[in-house]
Amino acid sequence: MEPKSSASSSAKKTPNQNRRIYGLIAFLFLWSCLIAVRLFSLQVVRYGEFTQRAARQQQRTVEVSPRRGMIYDRNGHELAMTISVDSVFAVPSEIPDQANAADLIAGVLQTDPREVLARIQSSRNFAWIARKLDATASQRIRGLNLKGIYFQKESKRYYPKSELAAQVLGFVGLDDEGLGGIEKKFDDTLRGRPGKMLVSVDARQRSLGRVEKQPEPGSNIVLTLDEKIQYIAERELERAMQETQSEAGTVVVQDPQTGEILALASHPTFNPNVFHTASPQLLKNRAVSDIYEPGSTFKIVTVAAALQENLAKPEEMIDCQNGSITIFGHRIRDHKPFGVLSVSQIIQQSSDVGAIKLALRLGESRFDQYIRAFGFGSQTGVELPGETRGMAKPANRWTKSSIGSIAMGQEVGVSSVQLASMVSAIANDGVYTPPRIVAGMVAPRTTPTPQAVVFKPAEQRRVISPLTAVQLKKMLEDTVLFGTGKKAILDGYTSAGKTGTAQKVDTKTGRYSTWAHIASFAGFAPVNNPAVTVYVSLDSPRGVHHGGDVAAPLFGRITQQVLAYLNVPHDADVRHSRYLQLRAAAKNADLSEGSPDRLSDTVEFYGDLTADAGPVPALSTSANSSKPTPNEQERAKVIAASFTPEQKTQPRSVDPPMPSAETSAAPAAANGTVILDSEGGRVAPAFLGKSVRSAMVAAQQAGIEIDVIGSGVAREQAPAPGQTIPPGGRVTVRFSR
Amino acid sequence: MRRFASYRDFDWTLLGFVLLICLIGIVQIYSASVTTKFAGVHTKQIYWVLAGLVAMFLISFIDYHKLLENVHWAYLLLLGALIAVPVIGVTALGAKRWIRLPGVGLFQPSEWMKLVLIIALAQYISSLNPRDVTWTDIFKALAIVGLPLALVLKQPDLGTSLTFLPALGLLLFLGGMKPKQIAAFALAGLLIAPVVWFKGLKDYQKDRLVNFVHPENDPKGSGYQIRQSLIAVGAGGIWGKGMAQGSQTQLNYLPVTHTDFIYATLAEEQGFVGASLVLLLYFVVLMRLVQNAQMAADRAGTLLIMGIAAVLVFHILVNVGMVVGIMPVTGIPLPLMSYGGSSVMFTFLALGIVMNVRMRRFVN
Repeated sequence: MEPKSSASSSAKKTPNQNRRIYGLIAFLFLWSCLIAVRLFSLQVVRYGEFTQRAARQQQRTVEVSPRRGMIYDRNGHELAMTISVDSVFAVPSEIPDQANAADLIAGVLQTDPREVLARIQSSRNFAWIARKLDATASQRIRGLNLKGIYFQKESKRYYPKSELAAQVLGFVGLDDEGLGGIEKKFDDTLRGRPGKMLVSVDARQRSLGRVEKQPEPGSNIVLTLDEKIQYIAERELERAMQETQSEAGTVVVQDPQTGEILALASHPTFNPNVFHTASPQLLKNRAVSDIYEPGSTFKIVTVAAALQENLAKPEEMIDCQNGSITIFGHRIRDHKPFGVLSVSQIIQQSSDVGAIKLALRLGESRFDQYIRAFGFGSQTGVELPGETRGMAKPANRWTKSSIGSIAMGQEVGVSSVQLASMVSAIANDGVYTPPRIVAGMVAPRTTPTPQAVVFKPAEQRRVISPLTAVQLKKMLEDTVLFGTGKKAILDGYTSAGKTGTAQKVDTKTGRYSTWAHIASFAGFAPVNNPAVTVYVSLDSPRGVHHGGDVAAPLFGRITQQVLAYLNVPHDADVRHSRYLQLRAAAKNADLSEGSPDRLSDTVEFYGDLTADAGPVPALSTSANSSKPTPNEQERAKVIAASFTPEQKTQPRSVDPPMPSAETSAAPAAANGTVILDSEGGRVAPAFLGKSVRSAMVAAQQAGIEIDVIGSGVAREQAPAPGQTIPPGGRVTVRFSR
Repeated sequence: MRRFASYRDFDWTLLGFVLLICLIGIVQIYSASVTTKFAGVHTKQIYWVLAGLVAMFLISFIDYHKLLENVHWAYLLLLGALIAVPVIGVTALGAKRWIRLPGVGLFQPSEWMKLVLIIALAQYISSLNPRDVTWTDIFKALAIVGLPLALVLKQPDLGTSLTFLPALGLLLFLGGMKPKQIAAFALAGLLIAPVVWFKGLKDYQKDRLVNFVHPENDPKGSGYQIRQSLIAVGAGGIWGKGMAQGSQTQLNYLPVTHTDFIYATLAEEQGFVGASLVLLLYFVVLMRLVQNAQMAADRAGTLLIMGIAAVLVFHILVNVGMVVGIMPVTGIPLPLMSYGGSSVMFTFLALGIVMNVRMRRFVN
């Protein structure tokens, strides 16, 4: 180092100065230490805290949406897929002339420029302009070449077959959330796992992204549906609805052996690609969500139970008491005064009296057990959202007359899928198989082949013995050949089934509608080795509205085509002369007989309806003496007013008369009989113009008992308004449309 | 009087440490600016350092006694320039600090005044030798500094005007101020402070001082800078994030990374180890200056070096203090490391004077 020169030079300085310099050095040293300590405190002691603070302001975790799984039909045809589309966003601060840009974009999108401008002005850095555009629109916006307008690839759900199986598939919202059908039920499966993108955000909030975790695409779902069968079902349903002017309809095509649903149609329908334009009513799957009284198709359950319990034999003759029976104050009449019918004929002719008598043999609790065994009153477990349980009260909550109502398919509520599954159980030799619509899942990015998916039936249960099933199959085949289902006769195949016509429950009032019906047909084919169960229902057909008239032909058309498509071998001659004759005869029968299938045609009320007294002695003979003409039968309707007590006390508005050819037909005779009594009575009020319900309410208020004949609007009454009614006498009111 | 000067007596050790700091600075400037619109400034900094070295050698040739004897001319010239600034000056960054010289470019009189004041004060106080400073001397020294200081303060340029003070204080202290006088000075300072606060300082200047104490008051303004600087330093940890890896720096959370906050980016990317090492290097450089001051041939030389050391200490103290959050934000660069031509030129000229004094320490 340097020689000891400091000593010599320091002589020239004041001694004080050197001391002061050392003081300064000390100060400098202390200050350096202070800084070092501060650095240590910040960088070592509080390192974690500052790292967190840095991360908090610099990093954002952004979800990267996964690719939604596909939905295939059983043969691997795409029913729902995800495509890549453009979404347009703006970085408003980069747009030189926002108003002009908004005008141009609005021109392409055909929206209000002010709306676009408002979106642009909503932020400085980022604003969605339009999401998930179609290719042409995005191409045109690209063509505008606007500064500050950018495109982002987003995935959009696309349903290549448009309306096909719309309610089954459902639809997804803007953010890929399943909002209906399979899309909703299996949202978690289809959606996949979102990925994570770690985005570094700089001080000006610009982001520099880096994908941390790749999104996992959703699994693909394979349905049991067959695209072709679905198409057949929907096309025929639509055609039938047009012909019958029905409001709605459902079709269920099921494989009776496995319970797999091959087609599930619900009309009217919607296009899930533009679901937001559809009314909510269209979006729901009627076949699983709607509940209605099945009517005569339910007699299958009644007869099946009676046969299984050995309470009846198919050929056993049952006295149908000239088409009239009285249970606990309710008198029920058949549409025809049947004499003695075999059990088989009860099904064929759809005799209410016969069904009731069989149910009475069963007793309430046994009957109830069979109803439940066939899957009614609980969800079938079909993999669709919003499935109804139906309505089947436990036996201990039945009223005394319930057993009669239920025997003929009233006082129970079912869904189309429930009913189809019941029929499938018969077709499947008595083994009930819960319906299924999802065949399985396949891993993402693999195309399903039919082999890739395990089709295994859900847990099955035997409901009736194979022998009983065979007996029932025969009866149902005879129903098609000789009974109410002649229009379901197929070409080259045997078929079996049962017609049904039920009064619709008005959802607004919770009461029966006097003019709206649900016509249905439940059947299967071929009879001996059934390939398909087909259930069809038509809601509120206009004009002819009986199951045998409108639903059976629909069943026939669908089943015929489906069997051909499935290459099911013929089990009958293609142009079977007997079949052709029978089918031809069906038309004549329709014309001459009027309605082939009817539920309890008329319900006559005895005594006070609210009273829970035992059987009221049949004091009136009026009903028995009246012999309804075919025309009357045609219009006679169920007036099932007895089900809930509150219904009786509520006034009811006049139902709109149905436009029908038969409306003009005047009643042939006023066949109400007034029982004359020597003592003076009250004055008959005017019932004319009233609906059945309001007439009954009025009568009850006046303390008068009335006999109701027909349905619709009161046209005639006896005694006439203003005339005296003998004490204990009744007023017969005749209703028609 | 034999004036002996030789490169053998040049302080090569000091120069080595200085160049090491400059090198670290250049690397850090590169790292902080490479992804920004300032990319490439590190090359300019290299040119400035080379130019500074030339200036340093040039000034070391002129005997510092000549500088001392003629300093009044430079002082008067710059005073005139400072008076002229408001009239013919160029406005930039909201202040009039520059004069455009034809053919030379922008000229900032206040930067040069910083150096000239050190020389002038060293000359004045050493001329009092051997007696200690009296009140009269103190007021005269105050006048020498006060005149340009007032002019710079009016530009407004608080940062530069503050750099005039450490040399004044230190040289008066070494000139033999009595404790009584120091106490009186402190008292006067206390009395003047409120006046300066309410009359002299502009709002944004007050904000800076307040926000230094309470950075959360102004998370987006100068408080923001302090907060971001602390996050950068703290997130650096012991070993740092590595070159060009500091997220605070690279994502532009830190303001003016390659100039005033270069030490923060160093602390983030090189960690506690790097920041401490650089701190140590500065300490060595300053100690070397003090040693040279003590070895000076005469009192004027000692005072000259100590004045220079005082200005450098002040810069380092305020800048590093600002980065670690114990000093307010003032916009004072870190000598040798911050990017900037005038800062580099000033530092190397000052170091040239130090060399100058050292080369002539063997008098007679």
